[in-house]
Parts: sequence; C-alpha cells; structure tokens
Amino acid sequence: MNIKEVANIAIKAGEILIKSGAEIYRVQETISNIFSSYNVKSESFVVLTGIIISAESEDNQTITLVKYISGSNIDLKKIEMVNSFSRTLKNNPLNYEEAMKKLEIIESIPIYPIYVRLLAAGITAFVYTILFNGKIYEAIIAFFISIVIYTVKGCFENMGLFLFFNYFVSCIIAGILCIVSTIILPYADIYKIAIGSVMILVPGLTITNGIKDALYGDTVSSLYRLTEAAFAAIAAASGIGIVFTAVLRYL
Amino acid sequence: MKYLALSFTGSLILSFMGSLCPALLYNLDMKKAFWAGLSGSVGWLTYIFFKNYTDQVIFATFMGAIAVSIYSETLARLLKTPATILSVSGILPLVPGSGAYNTVQYMVQNRYQLGLTEGIKTMASAGSIALGIMIISALFRISTRKLKL
Repeated sequence: MNIKEVANIAIKAGEILIKSGAEIYRVQETISNIFSSYNVKSESFVVLTGIIISAESEDNQTITLVKYISGSNIDLKKIEMVNSFSRTLKNNPLNYEEAMKKLEIIESIPIYPIYVRLLAAGITAFVYTILFNGKIYEAIIAFFISIVIYTVKGCFENMGLFLFFNYFVSCIIAGILCIVSTIILPYADIYKIAIGSVMILVPGLTITNGIKDALYGDTVSSLYRLTEAAFAAIAAASGIGIVFTAVLRYL
Repeated sequence: MKYLALSFTGSLILSFMGSLCPALLYNLDMKKAFWAGLSGSVGWLTYIFFKNYTDQVIFATFMGAIAVSIYSETLARLLKTPATILSVSGILPLVPGSGAYNTVQYMVQNRYQLGLTEGIKTMASAGSIALGIMIISALFRISTRKLKL
C-alpha cells in the first residue's frame, strides 16, 4: 500500500475522533498507531480544528495532508469503534478499500431514535433537579421543559445556527417556560427548575476535556475547548437571566 | 449541605440514572451505558462519603473522580473499551455544571462577589476532577507498560 492511502486512512480516523469529541492525545495516538501498523514513518500535528499529517515513504518521498475540521457532536460509540479499528489494524493490516469502507460504516452509525433521546433528556433533568434538592413536582416540570429544550436545540442545530446563539435562544424559551410553570404552580422554586432543565446544555464534558488536554500538553486545543465551554455557559445563563430579570419583578 | 437529604438507595438510583441518560444522549450502546451509569453511582457515593466526612467539596470531588477513574480503568480492561467511554458519563454527577450556571446567574443579578466565589469553586472542582482522572490513568498506564516490558 502506498503512503498516500495510509495517510488517507489515518486522517479519516482522526477526523471522526475529533468530531466525536475525543481528547487530542487519543487522536494523536490513533494516527501514529495506524501509521506504525503499516510501517510508515510519519509525523502528525493535531489541534481541535484540524489535522496535519506528513508521511515519508521508503524511497524518501514525503507527502503532507491537511484537513480542516469544524463542528463537533459528542458520540462515544464512534470513539470506541475507531479505537478498536486501530487496534485490529495492528494485528491484521487491511487493504485500502476495506479500511475506508470500515471507517465509512463507523462514520454513519445511527444515533438513538428521537423518543429515546427525548426520554433520556427528560430523565436527566428530572434526576438533577432532585439531586439539587428540588421537590418531585419541580422535577416533573423540569422533565417537560428539558424535552422542549432538547427539541428546540436539535431544530436549531439542523438549521445550522452556531452554538452560542442556539444555546441563547433555547434558554430564553426555557426561561419563559419556567415562568409560565411558576404562574401555574406558585409553590415551585423557579431556580431549581431552571438549573435542572438546562443541565443537558451544561458543557461539563467540554470543561473537563479542556483541562485534560492542558494536562497532556495540548494547550492550544485546551484553550479552544475552555473558551467554547465559557461561551456556552454564558449563553445559557444569560438567556435565562435576561428572561428572569425582565419578567420576575412584575410577578 | 444540599445533597444530604437523600437516602442511600435514593442517591444510588438517582446518580445511576443521572449517568446512564447522558450516556444515551452521547450515543453509547445500552450494555455499556449500564456500566457507565454504575460508574456514576460509584463516583457519587464516594463523593457523598468524603463530603460528610470532611465537609470539603473540592476534596470530595477529587476523591469521587479518583473512584470513577479506578472503576473505569479496571472495567475498561475487562470490557476492552477505552476508559474515557465509562468515565465521561461517570463524572457527570460530579461535574460542576450547576456551579458554572450559578456563576453567570449571579453575574446577571449584579452579585459579583458571589459570582466570583462560585466561579473559583467551579474552576477548582473541574480541575480536581481532571487531576483525579489524570493521576489514576497515568498510574494504570505505567503499570501496564512495565508488565509488557
């Protein structure tokens, strides 16, 4: 197999990993694993927005590939499958077509049907409202608000809106729904409902991954992730904050 | 403080669901999502134990992260998956999502002092989670390398 095909396989695997939200060191490890299982000398540079790979063939020819990557959607199953793919490659190096076919299958793995995801979003909100010491009826309200937020967020994502605006508008809607629910049920604590129902938007994973990247020495990607997390938190909280400060004093 | 009102079984089930459902949102398959949910319970119960014992949130978060990490590194070797798959959902109950949210909420309400306090607490908790996971995964990595050599 020539080096260009190996580099293509490596860059595709790296792209899937970054898009699914893997840490940078894992991407780098996978890429160098793929190259070493075909016995190709290589060097790679990975940041969150792109991959640069340079590979050297036995007759001293060098090729370099650059791939720009934008957007990410956390998908643990893809990370897992690319990981096992690079492991099997070590013992039994596939040819180019087989390997690319396998990666394409991994890339098009379906996500759960919409009702499972909606239920999961709702139960997440329910659980965290109670963990934050809310009452059962507050948790039930948060359950429904969270389902609405998840639907709205999904619609905006399909429309291609960028993350900050998406979170902002979703949280404005969530804030309005919280206020409506406290008008109907005056005893409910509005802040508990709000915290529980926006829990699915909270960028906890991004914060933790950002710090992990920094500890592994990938400071550029770490800053990128932390900035993204900060913007997401600011968008979510200011969306709710604007609605609450505008309306609550009149209640 | 705020979490102590729940019984043992209650917090066990809640933290299990609180890790399993986000794992489903992250598209993990059902069998592994179960183990991921269990890692959430392990972390949360450790967190509560140390929080009752020392009354120090950041230390308790650190110990919780260490428990999650030991659990997921061990189980990852049995199930032959990357350990991150299990630990990502397992640390979710510990992740200071509400802290990040509260920080900005206070800022919006003109209460900057409280906002700053919450912000520092959030950063420290997030850092202690990452540090706990790092320490354990580094230890596991060293031990497997030595075994191979």
